[in-house]
Amino acid sequence: MTVYQCEDSLEGIFTAIYNAYQDGRSPEDTRITVNGELFLFARYVTVDAEGEKTLKVMNTLKVRFGEDDYLRLCLALSSSHEEKAQAVYQTVALGLGEKCSRGHLFDDLGNQWIHLAFTLARAAQNENHHLRGFLRFRELKSGLLFAVMGPQNNLLTFLMPHFSDRLPGENFIIYDEIRGLFGVHPAGGQWYVVRKDEAAKKPEHRELSAREDEYQELFRCFCHKLAVKERENKKLQQNMLPLRFQEYMIEFE
Amino acid sequence: MEYLSAGQERTLMDKLAILADAAKYDVACTSSGVDRKGNGVSMGNCVASGICHSFSSDGRCISLLKILLTNECIYDCKYCRNRCTNDIPRATFTPAEICTLTMEFYRRNYIEGLFLSSGILQSPTLTMELLYRTIWLLRNRCRFNGYIHVKAIPGADEELIRRLGYLVDRMSVNLELPTAEGLRTLAPNKHRKNILAPMRLIQNGIHANQNELAVYRSAPRFVGGGQSTQMIIGATQESDYQILNVAQSLYEKFELKRVFYSAFVKVNEDKSLPALPGGPPLLREHRLYQADWLLRFYGFRAEELLDEKRPFFNVMLDPKEDWAVRHLEQFPVEINRAPYENLLRVPGIGVKSAQRIIAARRKAKLSFTDLRKIGVVLKRAVYFITCCGKTMYPLKMDEDYIVRNLTDTKDRIRFGSDGMSYRQMSLFDDEMFMRPVKAQERLQTAWGQL
Repeated sequence: MTVYQCEDSLEGIFTAIYNAYQDGRSPEDTRITVNGELFLFARYVTVDAEGEKTLKVMNTLKVRFGEDDYLRLCLALSSSHEEKAQAVYQTVALGLGEKCSRGHLFDDLGNQWIHLAFTLARAAQNENHHLRGFLRFRELKSGLLFAVMGPQNNLLTFLMPHFSDRLPGENFIIYDEIRGLFGVHPAGGQWYVVRKDEAAKKPEHRELSAREDEYQELFRCFCHKLAVKERENKKLQQNMLPLRFQEYMIEFE
Repeated sequence: MEYLSAGQERTLMDKLAILADAAKYDVACTSSGVDRKGNGVSMGNCVASGICHSFSSDGRCISLLKILLTNECIYDCKYCRNRCTNDIPRATFTPAEICTLTMEFYRRNYIEGLFLSSGILQSPTLTMELLYRTIWLLRNRCRFNGYIHVKAIPGADEELIRRLGYLVDRMSVNLELPTAEGLRTLAPNKHRKNILAPMRLIQNGIHANQNELAVYRSAPRFVGGGQSTQMIIGATQESDYQILNVAQSLYEKFELKRVFYSAFVKVNEDKSLPALPGGPPLLREHRLYQADWLLRFYGFRAEELLDEKRPFFNVMLDPKEDWAVRHLEQFPVEINRAPYENLLRVPGIGVKSAQRIIAARRKAKLSFTDLRKIGVVLKRAVYFITCCGKTMYPLKMDEDYIVRNLTDTKDRIRFGSDGMSYRQMSLFDDEMFMRPVKAQERLQTAWGQL
């Protein structure tokens, strides 16, 4: 068996897939891993991410499987599951091998790898959809909008396009607390991602704008008034809005 | 505008408190039906699926800034908190206040858009004009490009409704009560005819607009998200069968996107209102929504689910289970061969699972384990399906037996939690080894730690 070890990123995994194909490996006898798991009698190959190979793989996947299924593969890779790289690799290998048509990559849910990739993508998609609604911006003194989140999947690159499209004229930053990533959007410009410097100190207390408190209070009042007392159902509320999101939301402060 | 000066001394916070409180019994808070990308300049876009931004303590979603323009109402509807004979604090927003609130909430991602309704101030036409003025300001002055849902006021000038339709994404006219008779007793100022007229107007507008859009792709859209309505359940004596029939004809004749049902909450003491000792009829509302979905997505008809002899839904079984146990001659359904329409009628199989089954069985024969992966709820479906000609367990095709199993909580748990039942216990419980081996464990094995 050959094991390709790569870094935990889209580029790393796509480059590994490219290399596995280039070396003519049979998918049944090949693994791609991101966390250095060890196997008996296996040969190890370390892969460095390469931009050109990544682009080639991205293109092939888009052309062969269609935009929707390509997006699903990317969502599956945003998960933190330890076997995500292997699941995506096997799914892609099966799809290419069977020459499956666009939009049918995830049809065979009986297959364990396709099913795993599918579940990971679905979980990431659900969280992505949740965060589109549950993310809260606070206005800082400079007029900049700042949001903090702590998602289970690495979703910053999926959220930034949505919010840039929605708020084109705003300077805003979305901060992924868990991975130390900042998504930055300058007003009228293109968004980009910055990694937090490990050595840098914790950001000092961010000063809020003068009217920020007032609007937070207005929204809290609104949420409070909108509840119908006769129908109270806290459990349903928590089902729909899990606690891990609530800690970042101003109406639950 | 002297009517606005009356509430001027109230702060924005007071007004929001009063007018959000007054709007809370309106059910529709969806932001779905329109997919509109941002235009790169103005603020906002729309997502077809709709986005929920928060959930209030009653578990209902908060998607739009749901407020009334005013709660100063000249009507005296018995069921409504804002009726003119109630002594409650009254307030009116100015259009500018609504614009500021919407824009500031939207940019902080609190809301998906605005849902503006109103009490009747002096006359329907005047109220409609104020609504129009507010929305016009929001769209043109503040350049708001997000979702807007506005109520069309029955009895208002038609031209106003038509113009407003080009500015908003969804419009709704409240049916209030399912029958004309109920409306006469509880809402003396409202008439069935007046309510249906604007509904028809909007429907015709949407049709005309579709023809326009077919020719000119960039023509302005008229009520792109379609129209909806809502009915109060349990304030009058209608049966579920009557209500469902009304909903069905609204979907068919008026092409509504949604009909909302709102369990009656008693906010006023009035001799013509029913006493509801058990609180609002929430289960009844729930069953109606379930049936509503069956009408819209599962190809059911109201006559199949209920009839004159059984005009109410079963309390224990959901409408689909209820239909299935009364039509056992159509079951079991063979998963690997049945057409899509028949799969949809099996309890425990939804639209998505049915689609996945159709896709997956092209590649391989499906087993019960595969069905679980696909997302079929086996604890309900197991009585009605076969895979390759076999049921999952030995079953009796008998109505009593199935109803007993579907409603027995113990059985539900047995089927649901671990997915297994009726199997003899054995020492070599191979179920234990279904779990895939983790990378960590593989590592430990390699190092001889396990």
